[in-house]
Amino acid sequence: MTEILIAAIFTDNLALSFFLGICTFLAVSQRLSTALGLGLSVIVVQSITVPVNALIHQYLLAPGALGWAGLPQVDLGFLRIIVFIGVIAAMVQLLELLLDRFVPALHRALGVFLPLITVNCAILGGSLFMVERRYDLVKAIAWGVGSGAGWALAIVTFAAIRERLRYSDMPQGLQGLGSAFIVTGLMSLGFAGFGGLVR
Amino acid sequence: MRLSRHLTDPLIRSNPVTLQILGICSALAVTTSLVTALTMCAALIFVLCVASGLISAIRRHIPQSIRLILQITIIATLVIVIDEVLRAYAYEISQRLSIFVGLIVTNCIVLGRAESFAMHHPVWPSVLDGLGNALGYSLVLVVVATIRELLGSGTLLGLPLLPTTTEGGWFVPLRLMQLAPSAFFIIGLMIWAIRAARPEQVEHPDHRLVGHETGAGP
Amino acid sequence: MDRRRGPWARFLARSNDDPMKALGIAGLVALASAITVSTAATTLRPRQIANVEAARQLRMQAMVDELPGLRAVMEELGVTELQTRLVDLDTGRMLPGEAGGFDPEAAARDPETSIALTQEADTAGLERREAQALVHLLERDGVPMLVVLPVRGAGYQSTISALLALEPDLNTIAALTVIEQAETPGLGANIESEAWQALWPGRQIADETGAIRIDVVRGTASSTYEVDGISGATRTGRGIADMVRFWMGPWGYGPFLSRLRQEGLG
Repeated sequence: MTEILIAAIFTDNLALSFFLGICTFLAVSQRLSTALGLGLSVIVVQSITVPVNALIHQYLLAPGALGWAGLPQVDLGFLRIIVFIGVIAAMVQLLELLLDRFVPALHRALGVFLPLITVNCAILGGSLFMVERRYDLVKAIAWGVGSGAGWALAIVTFAAIRERLRYSDMPQGLQGLGSAFIVTGLMSLGFAGFGGLVR
Repeated sequence: MRLSRHLTDPLIRSNPVTLQILGICSALAVTTSLVTALTMCAALIFVLCVASGLISAIRRHIPQSIRLILQITIIATLVIVIDEVLRAYAYEISQRLSIFVGLIVTNCIVLGRAESFAMHHPVWPSVLDGLGNALGYSLVLVVVATIRELLGSGTLLGLPLLPTTTEGGWFVPLRLMQLAPSAFFIIGLMIWAIRAARPEQVEHPDHRLVGHETGAGP
Repeated sequence: MDRRRGPWARFLARSNDDPMKALGIAGLVALASAITVSTAATTLRPRQIANVEAARQLRMQAMVDELPGLRAVMEELGVTELQTRLVDLDTGRMLPGEAGGFDPEAAARDPETSIALTQEADTAGLERREAQALVHLLERDGVPMLVVLPVRGAGYQSTISALLALEPDLNTIAALTVIEQAETPGLGANIESEAWQALWPGRQIADETGAIRIDVVRGTASSTYEVDGISGATRTGRGIADMVRFWMGPWGYGPFLSRLRQEGLG
């Protein structure tokens, strides 16, 4: 379980080794403060949606999951994508409502990022990987928290680097997006160095 | 005439990947070989065209409050269909694409075009716009996949082009090309190349150190 | 004036801010998607199952063809394929008759036909294991010439299933063929490459004391119990090693193999 957590943060980093959520990763990393806000939101949403989707998968969608309802032969696996994205959208909405009602300060800080998260492939990808790797609920919790934290770590580090790069003198064509890709590549190489961390 | 611009513009001039940073997420992981990249492109072309067309067709009746969830439902339906079709008719490749076909749902190009174009334009231009953007995305994917497969394993579409040392040839495959970072490097360099050719795409920095002018300007 | 139009046109003419219309449109889109998705899934299902089955058959054939001299033995015996039998994994006893249409994964899901594995036993990450499993055999005069065991286990990002073929000594690997996997393309997915699978024949599973030694190592193998790993895919390699060790051990085909050693096919 700790192994999954550590692997999810470092060696299986969703952003840097699976390219998930890279669109948002590149677009919302101009400033460290916004990156921090988005990173936190991803951790929160990922830690909720992956375990919820794990439960739904285990008791509704997996082949033979409807055994408790007397339908062991039914396989609703093909509904996975649409159900997961629905759960994610619903959870994001719910979280927005709850934050607005009970922690308005946090809602003001994270509010703008929450809608972005519905279409962040890291969130859907996290749930789909959970199924592919056949995690049970406990492992799914570890994976949800870890993969969210890994993504947040990547974007916060990246934003910090970009803030420095803003003052650097580079070829015109590389300014902005071009250098962002190259820096991501270098970070990805760096994270590959964590490979030996988990046997 | 003007209609064709919807098709040709997104290829280079406003390419969704290199200019608008849309839809790279799910794509890069499938560019280790050309055949998976091509399959992914075909799947995206199908989803993007049909989704744009459908959403445009019902655009006058989509209530503002639930438009995102409706768009996502339509897109997810199409993605499931293409995923099932691939598993039925291209089993081998679908095994290699793993979860990445499913991730087309969250590909920002699809939702982005639905939201910003198909919601405000008639069906036919929307389909063309979808096709154009899908082709622009495919162009990047195919270029990246060609470079990665050729230099990473010496083959193209599985056919050996550069004889590798393991087969008695001279070519030592570049391991880096098979790993994630190479995709980032290739796209970064592609953007550089495009912007060198089309200087109007260059992003100008919003900060510049005083006294740090580089010979070019005053 | 609404009277002249049908209910459908009147519905569409409602304002988009009308909650009735929002509900109606949402319902219609949901209905249309539901019909499309379920039609696609049900009409394509048989073809998908056939694909999986065909791939399994093909790998089996290819593996048999790869093994030196096996075709000749089969021709001599006048058979074209291996016989498939069901084995009770706990006792290691073979059940009488040919087994057809047995689905090990379905059996492993059903609590009636499977056992839950404890965390220590479950090195292959299966959670449940079927009570009975398939084996494929080629026998000559009551002696197994080749034993092919279907194995599966958790890889890095997918479940890997493979066929493990054993020589008559039941300890030397004749071949390992990966049937199904969805590991990282270009890295872990290379376990399906012929070059990597060619590293397996001739490897030993257990040493003289019976301890299972087979492993996939990082870098280059240094003993007859080791197979080279794939660089960049350490955990896929570990998944395969754990899978082979699990199925060769006491919770897998261990009891069956020791019974086979002692009693033969008799």
